[in-house]
Amino acid sequence: MKGIAHFAAGVAVASCFPQAVQAGADGNPLPFLIGGACGLLPDTLDFKFSRFFFRHDVEVVPDPLRPDAQTIADAVALAVNRAWETQRPVRIRLHTIRLATDVWLPYEITFDVAGRRVLARCGSPVDTGGNAVGRTEPAGRRGGAANLACGIKLEYRATTPVDMLEGPTFTMEPTADGRVVPRFIEWHRQWSHSLLAAAGLGLLAALAAAPYLGLVAAGAALAHVLADQLGFMGSNLFFPFRAERSAGLQRVHSESAAANLLTVWGACVLIFWNLYRNMAVNVPGWNLLSVAVYGLVVPAGVGLAWRRWRRRP
Amino acid sequence: MAALFTCVVCALVGAAVASLLACIPGLHIYNVLALTALAFQAWSGGGWLAGEAFTALTVAMTVGYAMLNTVPSVFLAAPDESALFTVLPGQKYLMAGRGREAVLITAAGGAVGLFAICLVLAPLGPRLLPVIWTVLRPHAHWVLWCVIAFMLMSEWPRRVAIGVPGWRRFLAAWRNLGVGLLTFLLSGLLGFLLLYRSPIPPEFAFQNLLPAFAGLFTLPWLLLNLAARATPLPQRADRGVPLDVPTLLHGGLAGVLGGGFAAFIPVITGGVGGFLAGHATAIRNDRMFLVSQGAAKVVYYVAGLLLFFVPGLHTARGGAAAMLMTFGVPQDRAAWFLALAAAALAGAVACALVSPLTSLTIAAVARFGCRRLSWASLALILAVVLTATGGRGLAVAVVAAGIGLLPVLFGSRRMNCLGVILLPMACNLSGFGPAVARALGLL
Repeated sequence: MKGIAHFAAGVAVASCFPQAVQAGADGNPLPFLIGGACGLLPDTLDFKFSRFFFRHDVEVVPDPLRPDAQTIADAVALAVNRAWETQRPVRIRLHTIRLATDVWLPYEITFDVAGRRVLARCGSPVDTGGNAVGRTEPAGRRGGAANLACGIKLEYRATTPVDMLEGPTFTMEPTADGRVVPRFIEWHRQWSHSLLAAAGLGLLAALAAAPYLGLVAAGAALAHVLADQLGFMGSNLFFPFRAERSAGLQRVHSESAAANLLTVWGACVLIFWNLYRNMAVNVPGWNLLSVAVYGLVVPAGVGLAWRRWRRRP
Repeated sequence: MAALFTCVVCALVGAAVASLLACIPGLHIYNVLALTALAFQAWSGGGWLAGEAFTALTVAMTVGYAMLNTVPSVFLAAPDESALFTVLPGQKYLMAGRGREAVLITAAGGAVGLFAICLVLAPLGPRLLPVIWTVLRPHAHWVLWCVIAFMLMSEWPRRVAIGVPGWRRFLAAWRNLGVGLLTFLLSGLLGFLLLYRSPIPPEFAFQNLLPAFAGLFTLPWLLLNLAARATPLPQRADRGVPLDVPTLLHGGLAGVLGGGFAAFIPVITGGVGGFLAGHATAIRNDRMFLVSQGAAKVVYYVAGLLLFFVPGLHTARGGAAAMLMTFGVPQDRAAWFLALAAAALAGAVACALVSPLTSLTIAAVARFGCRRLSWASLALILAVVLTATGGRGLAVAVVAAGIGLLPVLFGSRRMNCLGVILLPMACNLSGFGPAVARALGLL
């Protein structure tokens, strides 16, 4: 999910507490700020702090003037093979290829499990929005393949695009059955996305402010972790008792417009209902059923119809 | 019949004049409307202002401006606070010789916004909005605080550093975030200063924020353009825009949601609304982004004004509604339908004028050169600030330009400059604005 979906879900969690709604009506924004901020905090901790301290053993910086897909494939294979040989994790960082201020040369890495190979392929120049820019492609080998000394066990997707901004990291981790598992951006969704972190955050807020604000903070962080669990990567829910992330349910992609909009919209409807039910006024015809049907079911139905129309042959 | 004819003429003329004026950098429609109102008040003794014709004129001028103010943003990088977000993609298109395309895409988004106003707001507004506003009014302050928190928290480090991880990489990455926070804080302090102890003389008080907006949003871009000496490619003269329906509808939906949110919640601008909705609908593509910003801008300006006419609501959002409020609150549904009809008519006129006025601007850029026009824009904006707020206003604009240059130079979000209104207004809505002002020594 995108940040705004987590933030809105956190605010929606806060609105479920009548004390928070009352405080809001009295001019105190703190409960909702805590909800929103704690909803986004797990990603903030990862992307603004953790990743800058994540050490790597191999760093791949392709030449923008002459990118060589074979060298990229060789470097990834080197990391996999070294992990297998030494039986120790090897971390590799892949940099993006920036051709100009807003022009990138995307490439992708594919772990060919059946063929025991790593494939690398360079694409055509795009802008930060991912649109083709029609710029001449730099010279260099466009595709490459490197053989692996061991089998690969996938926990994420087989193909990873490396397109713009900051490139990904992989931790090549040897497994007990003699294979190597490439862990995608291992610094993400670890301790920050655990039940323990959510509880700790709640405890901190409860001690610093009020007990119900502790529940708001913990609930918002928990909503984030659970929403992420619907995706592909999963989270390390049981840190520190487990060292690895649990696999995600693979129901939605974090970049999905429909999933993000539905989450934000649903959170807004829930917030509205919570504010309305805590008010003294009662408007005829405005009840939970009508708000749910007209506010959520009808728009979701329209959205679904729109998606079907878009996907028609 | 004569009254109807007058209204139609006012709507047509208002839309045409505002569309033309929107192409001049530094002229905000609220200033033009204020001058128009003063002129008519002097001319007719005030009676005409309360009439339907003035309503039609005000709505039409707002529509014309909202549709066309993309032109100076794209070709001269001189945006107002709501067109702020269109400058960066707009400049990208301009440098590639596709400035016209950027304007037309944004205008297409604006047209989607107008359709949404006529087809969604018109039938549902009077039924839903009064209840929704009754529920939300006591909570508007924390909504604003949440928007601020999300704005600040959702800026991610941009610097991609090669090398060993650790504190050095962390600090390098945090440079743009730090500057972003500093920009928000400084512009917020400027907002407090202008609100509680404004250096601008009382006779210019109604233009209190004009120099700050000019300095924060318009001058930095112009100064950068002048310093960079970059020359755009000759502009292509394509008449049509290859815009597919899914892009138009996805971007339009995001813009309508964002613009509607901004129109309804006090202090939020159309650009911020569009930014939030862009996140919510996962917009990454430039064309979709331009469509959404076009729709958000139009919905923000036009729907914000129309809220004043919604039966049972009558809230004043934005300068135009605040000005109309001084002449009284409309009591019947006729004013609501008149405002809607004027918006629709003006929208048609403005849409028809987008292409010719863009061509005219392209011809002016080709004839005089981007650099000379940027100098002319700079002179014009400084003249407007000086005329409207005096020498002290000019000093405020210079200080604001210093703050506005921070994000431009350090690659952080320009949106943080909106702290100038967001921070003091959020504090005021929560009720602790005066306490903060006292702590700052302003009271």
